[in-house]
Amino acid sequence: MHLHTLNQSPAQSQVYRQALAAMADDDCLLLIEEAVQGALPHLIGPFEGLAGRLYVLEEDLVARGLLERCDDNARVVDVEGFVSLTEQADKVLSWY
Amino acid sequence: MRYGILLLGAPYSNQAAHSALRFARTIIARGHQLDSVFFYHEGVHNAARLAAPPQDEPHLVDGWAELQREHGVKLDVCIAAALRRGLMDEEQAGRHGKEGHSVERPFELTGLGQLVDLGLRCDRLVTFAP
Repeated sequence: MHLHTLNQSPAQSQVYRQALAAMADDDCLLLIEEAVQGALPHLIGPFEGLAGRLYVLEEDLVARGLLERCDDNARVVDVEGFVSLTEQADKVLSWY
Repeated sequence: MRYGILLLGAPYSNQAAHSALRFARTIIARGHQLDSVFFYHEGVHNAARLAAPPQDEPHLVDGWAELQREHGVKLDVCIAAALRRGLMDEEQAGRHGKEGHSVERPFELTGLGQLVDLGLRCDRLVTFAP
């Protein structure tokens, strides 16, 4: 399993398309920084196929006042959870 | 597990450096070894010796230095990316005929070979970028 991180909002950048295209069936995606917007119900569309494999970083949601607005399909993890995901993954790929 | 971090973002310009420092501290807190942070592209500005942010903001340069002091994390700065941005240690300042220097220990100017080596040596290499 590879972990992919994305730090750009899908509302402002198309790089999420490259990330999704590069992902294998068992890969996970973690939304960090501005990309946490992708966990909002009106922006989560492109990530809906990632059921159970879509994560979003809690600290970056909190910093933007978005924690309570997350879609249920995004699994909220804190930075410890981020490190834990990197432990489980064979490789970490950053999309930016 | 052995970790390495590649940081491409300048301090205070975007979130990359803050994210990387937070990640670095958490790796160590979970008992892993962080071998080195490699500063490349705009990330070399994290090594600016004269950085003086307001006192009520996180001091990123000091934050990196603290990781080296307390946990032995190497702080490798790409020499080619640094020199063209005016970041150099005393030795390079002398070589290029410049007065003063902008990089000092624990940051070290190194080559890209160190990044390749870090990628081969570590179990995980995590990139933080603008």
